[in-house]
Amino acid sequence: MLGIDFSKISDILLFDPRDPLLFGSSLFFFLFVALLLIYRLFAKSNNARVSILILFSMFIYYKASGIFLLLLILNAVANFYFGKGMGNSKTQGGKRVFLLLSLVFNLGLLVYFKYTNFFIQAIIDFNFGNLELLDIIMPLGISFYTFKSLSYILDIYLEMMEPTDSFRDYFLFVTFFPNILSGPIDRAAKFLPQVKKDYFLTDKDIAMALMLIMMGLVKKIMIADYISLNFVDRVFDEPVRFTGVENLLAVYGYALQLYCDFSGYSDIAIGIALLLGFKLMENFNYPFKAKSISDFWKRWHISLSSWLLDYVFRPLQIGLRNWRKAGNIIALVITFVLVGFWHGASWAFLFWGLLHGIYMAVGLIVQGPKKKFYLKYKLNNSKILGAIQIFITFNLVAFSFIFFRANDFESAIDVVKQIIYFFKPGVFVQFVESFTPTFVLIFLGFFLHFLPSSLNDKTVTLLSKMNIFVQAIILTLIIWLVAQVQSADLQPFIYFQF
Amino acid sequence: MISDRLKKIICDELYLDPETIEINDETQAPEVPGWDSLNHANIIVAIEKDFGVRFKGLEVLKCNNVGALQRLIDSKVSL
Repeated sequence: MLGIDFSKISDILLFDPRDPLLFGSSLFFFLFVALLLIYRLFAKSNNARVSILILFSMFIYYKASGIFLLLLILNAVANFYFGKGMGNSKTQGGKRVFLLLSLVFNLGLLVYFKYTNFFIQAIIDFNFGNLELLDIIMPLGISFYTFKSLSYILDIYLEMMEPTDSFRDYFLFVTFFPNILSGPIDRAAKFLPQVKKDYFLTDKDIAMALMLIMMGLVKKIMIADYISLNFVDRVFDEPVRFTGVENLLAVYGYALQLYCDFSGYSDIAIGIALLLGFKLMENFNYPFKAKSISDFWKRWHISLSSWLLDYVFRPLQIGLRNWRKAGNIIALVITFVLVGFWHGASWAFLFWGLLHGIYMAVGLIVQGPKKKFYLKYKLNNSKILGAIQIFITFNLVAFSFIFFRANDFESAIDVVKQIIYFFKPGVFVQFVESFTPTFVLIFLGFFLHFLPSSLNDKTVTLLSKMNIFVQAIILTLIIWLVAQVQSADLQPFIYFQF
Repeated sequence: MISDRLKKIICDELYLDPETIEINDETQAPEVPGWDSLNHANIIVAIEKDFGVRFKGLEVLKCNNVGALQRLIDSKVSL
């Protein structure tokens, strides 16, 4: 009759491991607009709104992960009752039992799905035994939702919050689709009170959300995907075929790509959550403007770094406090090795984390002499010093990302070797000529990053004063622009694999 | 109320002038110049030394402002 092919529709809506609903895909935007319309219709009924959100969230997760939706539901149920049990315990011992249960449950599942094969491989490699690798598929987003749930339990244990009485609210916190697959790793103490609030958006909220979504699309599709497919991937696949100059540009390019990929995702996640009336925590704050490695970690993947600061570094540091500086250093190195290991079960990520632990430890050791030096030469507020600090920090970070990105350790060393022994600065002109769009986009990416952040606020204010039709036209223009640059299919977000 | 003794320990540890720094019950560590996550442990050790007390790790972690830290000290000193 209408010529609708229902089998096609069911294909679109059923689980397909090769086709999760990516932010940025047209189907996602279509469904999200439909959700927003229904959501606004039920704006007055809290129960209806939350139910719609939960159903939509479960659909998005099912679409990406299939049967693992059951594991997500189990996670929500178990942690809700662990939290309740902890809240009802009269003694410290009782609270500790629930803490232990929750740690074993959450970390047990995470370790099983994410790290089992790494440990088996290590046992085989070091000749400790003759085992076979298991056929394990890691559920999408497990690193993110496990940490979200753990923060709820740990905050109750540390008496930072009371457990919630509402299973519905907690269930939405765990399954909330904007941040289920790649964060931000939100905190229950901030999220739960928002569930019961009335749905009301100011002009500024709408403008902010639009700005975040537009910037996210530009960062992800226009910059990250383009420079990765057209340049960065080629160099990292065969570093010895390129000169040092190209390797260095690929290293800088990858730093920008990773930032644009992940912060672009976070921007879209925060933007769509805002349109639904939820404020998620900030995940990036111009990380390449950092003047030291510790400053960098206050600006990069903030929801993860603050998680590890609160629940790993602080307890370790307090436990080791009598060892003074040595205690701090041990706590730092352990925390950063865990940061690396959280990203994935591989020696490369471990090494990357260790490298940042060492950076931080060295920073702590030279902190005193550095302060004296700056004071003696009155350098404290000098702009030149600031620029030098930013340059050094960026290079240390970009260097560490070589190990994060390279296909294996040998090729990471090849990248470094090419830069040191085969630099050939003259090739730069050829690079600009033959990779003009890539060069322009890398330049544009860094240029936008280093603009004063107040410019962003001013743009949001300007946008908030515009008529809704003008806003729609601007959004359409940005989507059109992004689509022009889009070179191939939307690339999966890098952080999905973690 | 934050005692002068506690305020002095914090200011000494962070090289601050107690006259120019306002610390009250609600004050949180990041609001005090120099009180960051790295030297937090030094301040705790200085307090323990000065008052001759010993905190449990969990007790320290539960303190989310200076007021809570003062109450923790009071509970140990009055024992």
